[in-house]
Amino acid sequence: MVVRIRLARFGKRHAPFYNIVVAHARYVLADTPAQLFLCSLVTIIVNRTARNSKPIEVLGTYDPIPKQPPDGEGKPFKDIRLDSVRAKYWLGVGAQPSDPVWRLLSMIGLVEPRYRPGQQAKTAKSHAPSSDLREA
Amino acid sequence: MFAWLKGPGENFRRPLPDSTNYLSSYNSQGRLWRSLESSPTLALDEEASDPPAESNPESKENPLQSQVVSEDKLPPEDKQDLKPFPVNSDFTSQPVLSEELREEIYDRVVNNGKSVKIASAELSVDMSRVAAVVRLKTIEKDWVKKNKPLAKAYSKAILEMLPTTPLTKFPMRPKMHESINDLPVHPATTQQIFEPTSESRSFTRIDASKVFDPELLPADERISHPELIELERERRLGISQEERIMRQRERAKKELERRESKERRRDEIEEATLKRVLPAERGGNGGRWEWRFREISVQDAGKDGRAPGGVGWRYGIPHEDRKKGHVKIPTRV
Repeated sequence: MVVRIRLARFGKRHAPFYNIVVAHARYVLADTPAQLFLCSLVTIIVNRTARNSKPIEVLGTYDPIPKQPPDGEGKPFKDIRLDSVRAKYWLGVGAQPSDPVWRLLSMIGLVEPRYRPGQQAKTAKSHAPSSDLREA
Repeated sequence: MFAWLKGPGENFRRPLPDSTNYLSSYNSQGRLWRSLESSPTLALDEEASDPPAESNPESKENPLQSQVVSEDKLPPEDKQDLKPFPVNSDFTSQPVLSEELREEIYDRVVNNGKSVKIASAELSVDMSRVAAVVRLKTIEKDWVKKNKPLAKAYSKAILEMLPTTPLTKFPMRPKMHESINDLPVHPATTQQIFEPTSESRSFTRIDASKVFDPELLPADERISHPELIELERERRLGISQEERIMRQRERAKKELERRESKERRRDEIEEATLKRVLPAERGGNGGRWEWRFREISVQDAGKDGRAPGGVGWRYGIPHEDRKKGHVKIPTRV
């Protein structure tokens, strides 16, 4: 059973605001061989937790709307509040960050950076045929 | 009814400018009480001497209506003129800040950089009122800049009907608008406590506050302007004025330093817990924004995850920002 570190969207329309939460992940229900066979025919995904249901723990928040700096100097900033000690603990016991959370955690050095702005073009090129397939 | 409308009631069709026009200001014949009470000889005396500090200069300047008293000046409003409800003699309408006084408050705080506390003590206007005036004036000036329409006619009409505290020029002392150094009633002090103490023990207000609540500040520190008490104490001790001014300046300087160092410390702590990630550090070249990571503790949310100090959107608590009866303006800045 996988525990994920993911975002949970709160906030209003056009004003997203995310809690960074630890929650049980979606998983494919296949404990017995019979179920495994059934899964090959019809994928049964069990949503362990609804998006905004009460999580195991709230590690922090992520406000994706850039705020102007109060002193008026520098770039607008995105405010992230995070308990890095708890985040480290959850990573240590095998919690898997979702892609957006991976990106945030890599910024403060908790995980190896994967989604670098410079790399994106390269990966997109290498996977060009598959993306075409998906579009088709 | 028509007799009244054509007789005494005629006054209310054309109200006196710059004066309250309450029912109780007029007698049954429709004459102003105060104009009847001031005899011609008294009026002459008043003109000869300097105007008293508490008189309203605006109401003095305005000529009376011809039907009430001809070619005379109105005496200032007295207690009788400030009672809007004839049957309820206990109710007196309180003065509001005049437009000039409000402008002066804004000028002192924003343009001259005086603290709200000092502006409050100088003009004898409550601190919360000074703060409110500054906030509202800021919005008003912003609206003027944006060419938004202002309800000037409304404001003028209301201010003409209400008693106002005028702005006095420098040689005259500022007119007291309200009592500024009242002791706020703390909920902990509303209970009646019988506290036995020995006669030999000195029991001061500091001890009294401890009896009410161990966390409660003594009354002398809970008031808005403790420095005014200190000034008065020094005056009564017979200390010379120069000495008192010097001491007050020193105290003000110390207070300012204390506040600044506190703010600096707070900023330092905030800076220490803050981690900035610039776009360049992520390998990008000149992104649009930076990321600011603030360290928090999940423990702040408490055992049930609902403590007010906790970070994050709450679970199981409706967001009541559109509900009636909730304070939506920030109460803390």
